[in-house]
Amino acid sequence: MVRATSTPRPRLGVVKLASCDGCQLMLLNLEDALLSVAERIDIVEFPEATSHRSSGPYDVVLVEGAVSTPEQLETIHAVRREAKVLVTIGACATAGGIQAMRNWANHDAFRAAVYAHPEYVESLATAQPVSDYVKVDGELRGCPINGDQLLEFVTALLTGRRANLPDEAVCAACKRAGRVCVMVSQGIPCLGPVTMTGCGALCPGFDRGCYGCFGPREQANAASLGRQFVAMGEAPAEAGRLFAGFTGYAPPFRDVITEFGGAPGVPAGHAPSPASTGTPSGGK
Amino acid sequence: MTSSAVTTVIAEPRSGTGFLPRAEFQHLIDLLAEDGRTVIGPTVSDGAIVYGEVRAVTDLPVGVGAEQSPGRYRLVDHHDARYFAYAVGPTSWKRFVFPPTLELAQSHRDEQGHVSFGPVRHEIPKMAFLGVRACELAALGIEDRVLLGGPYTDEDFRRRRDNALIVAVQCAEPGGTCFCTSMGTGPGVRGGHDVLLVELADGFLVSSGSEEGAAIVARLGLADATADQVVEGSDQLVAARDRIGDPVVTAGLHDRLLAKLDSPRWAEIAERCLACTNCTAACPTCFCTSVSQRSDLDGHTAVTERRWDFCFTKGFSAVALGGNFRPRVQDRYRQWLTHKFATWIDQFGTSGCVGCGRCITWCPVGIDVREELNLIAPPPVLGTEAQAAAARAPRTSVFHVDAVRPETHDTVTLTLSTPDGMDWSRLHGEFVMVSAPAIGSIPISISRRLPTGMELTVRAVGPASTFVTGLERGAEVGLSAPLGHGWPVEAAHDHDVVIVGGGMGFPPLRPVVDEILAHRASFGDVHVYHGARTPGDLLYKEELAAWASRGDLEVGVTVDRADATWLGRVGVVTQLFDHARWDGTKAIAFVCGPERMIQATVSTLAARGITQDRIFISMERHMECGVGLCGHCQMGPFFVCKDGPVFSLAQLGDVFGREGI
Repeated sequence: MVRATSTPRPRLGVVKLASCDGCQLMLLNLEDALLSVAERIDIVEFPEATSHRSSGPYDVVLVEGAVSTPEQLETIHAVRREAKVLVTIGACATAGGIQAMRNWANHDAFRAAVYAHPEYVESLATAQPVSDYVKVDGELRGCPINGDQLLEFVTALLTGRRANLPDEAVCAACKRAGRVCVMVSQGIPCLGPVTMTGCGALCPGFDRGCYGCFGPREQANAASLGRQFVAMGEAPAEAGRLFAGFTGYAPPFRDVITEFGGAPGVPAGHAPSPASTGTPSGGK
Repeated sequence: MTSSAVTTVIAEPRSGTGFLPRAEFQHLIDLLAEDGRTVIGPTVSDGAIVYGEVRAVTDLPVGVGAEQSPGRYRLVDHHDARYFAYAVGPTSWKRFVFPPTLELAQSHRDEQGHVSFGPVRHEIPKMAFLGVRACELAALGIEDRVLLGGPYTDEDFRRRRDNALIVAVQCAEPGGTCFCTSMGTGPGVRGGHDVLLVELADGFLVSSGSEEGAAIVARLGLADATADQVVEGSDQLVAARDRIGDPVVTAGLHDRLLAKLDSPRWAEIAERCLACTNCTAACPTCFCTSVSQRSDLDGHTAVTERRWDFCFTKGFSAVALGGNFRPRVQDRYRQWLTHKFATWIDQFGTSGCVGCGRCITWCPVGIDVREELNLIAPPPVLGTEAQAAAARAPRTSVFHVDAVRPETHDTVTLTLSTPDGMDWSRLHGEFVMVSAPAIGSIPISISRRLPTGMELTVRAVGPASTFVTGLERGAEVGLSAPLGHGWPVEAAHDHDVVIVGGGMGFPPLRPVVDEILAHRASFGDVHVYHGARTPGDLLYKEELAAWASRGDLEVGVTVDRADATWLGRVGVVTQLFDHARWDGTKAIAFVCGPERMIQATVSTLAARGITQDRIFISMERHMECGVGLCGHCQMGPFFVCKDGPVFSLAQLGDVFGREGI
């Protein structure tokens, strides 16, 4: 049951799945703004900030992290039932994150190599974005998310307008900022053309290529960019590997990795498909 | 003696052109700055020549240039003392007169719900733009028309424009992506500047283009330039123009481009286009923007902010309820290109392109508008191209007859090869002129392309064709290089294909089938229909059976008149697909045969939804020279041999089917 918004202060929860907590930290890093936010919103659940636990229902839940364990799978379904608006934050929640790299490899072998007692580690065969399991109402991308975007999201929520979170390429922000294209002027492979903006084109500002931490933008033509990397002299598997970062499991990047090779943890020349590419049953 | 006399005449005092020695260039920068102006000019930063603040000569790209090609830009060292020996870089002056982000207005709402709105008026510094090129002056002029020419104007832009003094520099070093010559904007400066500099080896020719500029030039106190210096400057300009050439034929481009809204090329470009917006951001005239609100948490104070936006983003053409008028990247590329080069002219009386080449250089995948324009809307074939064609005019090579295969009682297929080892399969062209001494030449369509030659299927009709069909294995014959425009098989990629060949019209279509089968996955459903007069006139019977048994293309065969042996379809060829189930709206058709058969086929195809631009037919005319010089095969505005023999119905217009043409 969803509670009607009779309270003037929206109840906001922050939920963590498989993640590093860096996105939650961005919320704390709002500092002065966080105090203003806290005056207007009841932050009832926030594990990074307080050990005080609270239950739903929530007006808004921010979900950090990928779904990686059976327990997290139960959690996300329970949270979805309790949340009016569910927003995923960060590369793990929106794209599977760095842990989704295991989706290309033998999960059991990894587990056995890392843990002394792998039998104690209960995890799913794949780490997947939240949207593979439940309906998601909004996303804040990035690794970690961008503080300005978070504040914009909260402001839009409080003022009742649509958040201004453009889904254009990093290039758009890069060119507005007057940066010189590192790909054209220095031959540095850059994922900016296929990556969603939001970071302020951070990496090209430091003479390096975007590595796609905000994930694919709308209609990302990743295949064409991959072909261009090859034309610039990258071996195909290396070109594919450039897409295999924090958001490599997101479909347009995943497809390029499959097509070009360069799957994480797999020697060049082998191009296995990820363990699961579809939406698991029992989801939406 | 004569030459010195001439020099004396030219060296008469020239009003207004002075000479500024290189060593004194700092004096000009200081003069510009003295008046409280921020001097903005070329400077090397982040691996490119960008526009930034210039305080001293050492801020300029001394001896630095750039190599540019589609998708590539690299600084190079010229090892000289020049400051302006480069073509335009990634920055355009748009940034300084039309900022990437700009606060437009502030609004407030108090506790009682009262609202107020107020514009934001920005402090605008006095600026001097140093190193503005002819193409860039043209771009500023275009922006003036767009932003100041209508009933509503952009006052912030106006104030920035008014506050900028323009010191132009004549182009002497065009880049590899320049085409100002085609767009009529350069390389020579033709106005719009306050001061004009022409950089020479040891200094600058200086002239003025406005009163304000004249005052500055006067304050420089220069000696007059010598005639030799003036000639050095104009020689540089001529050389620059020659280097650029005329890469885009702009005559009639507006109409040509708008006639190609359905070109299959748009989809091909979208395969490469990243829709990353770099072209539009780099373009000095693109002016599209979006506005958004920024507010405090309570929404009491808000700022309306404008930012550069780009027609390449999906969001730019989005409407309420998830709708979008340009849902595909190909739609957006088409919008951009047709706006720049065609509809801009309707709106503003000028092209939106100045030929600066930035969109080519700064496209990460190197899409070249010069090439795309020529591909999408090819220019009419004019003199130069005719000359080029004539230069390729049929030089007759000797071919050997390797095999002769009878097809019917009067038709044979010859396998011919060239002893010179040339890869003939790569030569485009639809037909060859087959020559025999004392017999003459006849045009024969290629019925199969082979690595070392070709197959020709010939019916004995007149003396020459009877001679050719009578050739035996080992015989020699003369052949021209392939001529004419053939079937645009690549345009059929991702389409269904309908191939209809009547009688001897079928052999020219056989290479189309070969091409499709070689790249079968690139095409949708494929239908091959062949009609002949009698069962005995059917061509390639075994091959047709083999194609039919593949299972990945439909093969239909019919004859006009059956005989005792024939158990197949009887009737005209259109009856093979009168009631077919395929959807013509996704198909491209290639049709060849007798003219009446073509007309009937075209009507049937049109009724099934194939549009005129997707029906290609091969026209028959008397082709004598094969290269459009003899006039025999003239048909309306076309030479069938050179412009055809394959045409789209759309291309033929009302020439098709008209009697007596």
